[in-house]
Amino acid sequence: MAEIRAGPVPYIYVCTRMRVRKSKLLPREEYMRMLNMGLAEITRFVGESQYKREVDELATSFRGIDLIETALSWNLAKEYQNIQKITPGTLKDLTRAYLRRWDIQNVLTIIRGKLHGEKKGKIREVLVPAGELDRVFLDRLLEEPTPERVIEALKGKGIYPILSRMTEGGVREEILPKVENELYKQFYADLIAYAHSGIKGGRQFLDYITLDIDITNIRTLFRVRADPSVSDISGVLIAGGTISPQALQRVFQIKDTNEFIDALVPLIKVRPLRELLEKLREERSLREIEIELIKVQLAEMETMSKLHPFSIHPILAYLEMKKYEIFNLRALARGKESGLAPERIRGYLVV
Amino acid sequence: MAEAAAVAATEMTVEMVKASQLGMKALGAGLAVGLTGIGTGLAEMAIGSAAVGATAENKDIFGLVLLLTVIPETIVIFGLVVGLLLLF
Repeated sequence: MAEIRAGPVPYIYVCTRMRVRKSKLLPREEYMRMLNMGLAEITRFVGESQYKREVDELATSFRGIDLIETALSWNLAKEYQNIQKITPGTLKDLTRAYLRRWDIQNVLTIIRGKLHGEKKGKIREVLVPAGELDRVFLDRLLEEPTPERVIEALKGKGIYPILSRMTEGGVREEILPKVENELYKQFYADLIAYAHSGIKGGRQFLDYITLDIDITNIRTLFRVRADPSVSDISGVLIAGGTISPQALQRVFQIKDTNEFIDALVPLIKVRPLRELLEKLREERSLREIEIELIKVQLAEMETMSKLHPFSIHPILAYLEMKKYEIFNLRALARGKESGLAPERIRGYLVV
Repeated sequence: MAEAAAVAATEMTVEMVKASQLGMKALGAGLAVGLTGIGTGLAEMAIGSAAVGATAENKDIFGLVLLLTVIPETIVIFGLVVGLLLLF
């Protein structure tokens, strides 16, 4: 009721805040400058920027790359939780639904960490408690001794049925990619059902979901094409995008790159994506293709947020851009620690 | 006889016409101020909420957004001027 009385005001308020936050994200020039810095300088730079609070809090417990990694994860989680607090009414529900993808990522990170015998502290560093499962619950999962016990502890949560059904014969590394696929398929199916449930702003949310599914499916297509032994990809494609999985499966069978692009382009409605695919006729590495796809997705989300300035789009655009800022900083820090050349690290940045 | 009484009842005196004109002017002035006030309110609602959002993220722009928020006040001032012109 409060939302109806307030009219568009809370939407304008929160969308403006997201725009201001977006303008505070690191610009391209900063990344280029950081490419020429050492790890210590990057740590100092991060510690003096908007990540100051997290770096100060964690500086007594962590050093070097671990400090950056943990501070970035904490900052991302805090940012996501803060946005959930300030978003009003249905926007909050839509944001929460979108952030549930982090539950899948966190749970799978814990299960993989447990399988490989990683220490609790090491797994905790990369968790981003932004979804339904909060930090306290994730800490409880981390305390569990085995992956099976982790899954049992999830009883009652949305992802439990698929996890328990697919790991009946025990948790093994080989089945985890399949479990991950199923969880994401379920996640997107839930999002589509939610967007169709008549919720206010559901149509705009659906636009984002279909774009996300299309980009994810095209990325999967390129990834799987790199492995000539795979002939059936129906199990890894997500339904609900503008391109049906059956059509993508047909396109996938085409081995020649030019013919493959010729068949794929007419299926796509998003013009920047069509233009990108035309550029991909020449030989490009998979990493480059993935980065280009992410850039197109971000640009398209930015366009959507301008078309619908007081909808879920400005929030989602900011959330995604923030996520890639963290990815970039992490890639920079990791690259510098491994002694990679700046040009090599540059290839991993979404800028 | 009855006809004469009816004509007398519908005839308006100069005083009556003047009073009616004054009333219409007052009504016009009221509408000018009231409607422009509503217009200003609607405009400031959107600008104000965006201004509060922007200030929450960056306190330095408070002066600028305050200025932007009061710009629609001009609408109600126009209404006030029209109202005053009507009355005096």
